[in-house]
Amino acid sequence: MRPHYRLPLVLGLVLLGALAAAAAFSAASVATRAVEYDGRPAAEVLVGDMPVIELRTSAGGLTPMRRAGIVAERLQAAIDAQPQGAKIRVASISHGQGLYADNRLIVAVYDAEASAHNSTPLGLVQTWRDNLVRAWGGSAQSVAPPAPAAADSASVAGESQPAAADPKPAQTDWTGTAQKWVPIVSVEQSGLSIGAAQVAGPTAQVEKVKAVAELGLSFQSVARIYAYIPTSSLNVTTLDRVQGVSVWATGDVRLVKF
Amino acid sequence: MKTRTKTIAVFLIAGLLCLSLGATVAFGIDLGNILKVGGIALLVNQFGGQIDSFITKTLGERNAAAQGATKVVPILSLGAGGYIGAAQIVGNPDSVRRVKAVFQVEGSIGSFRPRIFLPAYVDKATTTPERAKGVGVSAVIEFRI
Repeated sequence: MRPHYRLPLVLGLVLLGALAAAAAFSAASVATRAVEYDGRPAAEVLVGDMPVIELRTSAGGLTPMRRAGIVAERLQAAIDAQPQGAKIRVASISHGQGLYADNRLIVAVYDAEASAHNSTPLGLVQTWRDNLVRAWGGSAQSVAPPAPAAADSASVAGESQPAAADPKPAQTDWTGTAQKWVPIVSVEQSGLSIGAAQVAGPTAQVEKVKAVAELGLSFQSVARIYAYIPTSSLNVTTLDRVQGVSVWATGDVRLVKF
Repeated sequence: MKTRTKTIAVFLIAGLLCLSLGATVAFGIDLGNILKVGGIALLVNQFGGQIDSFITKTLGERNAAAQGATKVVPILSLGAGGYIGAAQIVGNPDSVRRVKAVFQVEGSIGSFRPRIFLPAYVDKATTTPERAKGVGVSAVIEFRI
């Protein structure tokens, strides 16, 4: 080989090697695809060209395709953060099972979706976990036992295996949202008021809200402080906050003047 | 070049002062109130993280703190006297991130007190303020204007 051909050849090989390395380390792309199940619209989430999750039900007013879009966004963010794979795990969440990539919630599975797959939430989310490990890489972590249907996720976490015994509270699934009006009890130094408050948040969480406790403090009409606490009990003195739910509007009348 | 920049800056500041003075005379707006609103909004933007931690810690002592996506933004209350301050918002993480301020509209019909919270963000495409969906208020600290 002539000496003046060597340099371009070496450079070409280096370039090819770099391209191959970039291809190997590049993040897989996530996409969605509309499909049909029993003549009804469903949607798939794909990693590369491999379907990993299929959503067959609507939730919170979102179609399967819209839900798949949200799941795909979460998954793409997780893959972009860790292209080589993450710890894919299943953990109990309130009323269902969650599929997590490290600490990111990818998708939550409740009874309705599981029934559409003739499975249980745990069985379905395990299948999706295995699909995801195959398509993305990483490792599957041991599965937590399913949550009792009416149990709170925080109390279940204490009884679970390490995968679900995360000290952090279970992340709220925002796939479906709802709003409703509940009673509000307002306690201020000037008096006690009652009325109604509009709360909004994830469907499962909003269902748990029974009332809102409003704590108010004012300093000679110069400053005022309010806190709104959506609670899971009509007894607002316990302040058992329902996480993920916020207050949009209130209306109350003075009942007792101190 | 430097002299020209300085001249432009001086004219801009003088223009702004004339405008604010004109506004106070023509519309009866108190310059002190403008400074108070601007100052508190600036402080809230600057120290939002610390205020958020303070609210969370205070409510946390009674197990009532909001967990997950929270943020503190300026709040402007109108309808039952003007108030400006800080609001802790909670909700959908994506929406919480985008919210820049909360507007509170409150009224008084006899002894009935209605309140509506309007968390808002600025749409980059249209540069118009829009209501943020999936976000509500957890706590408010505000001062009379």
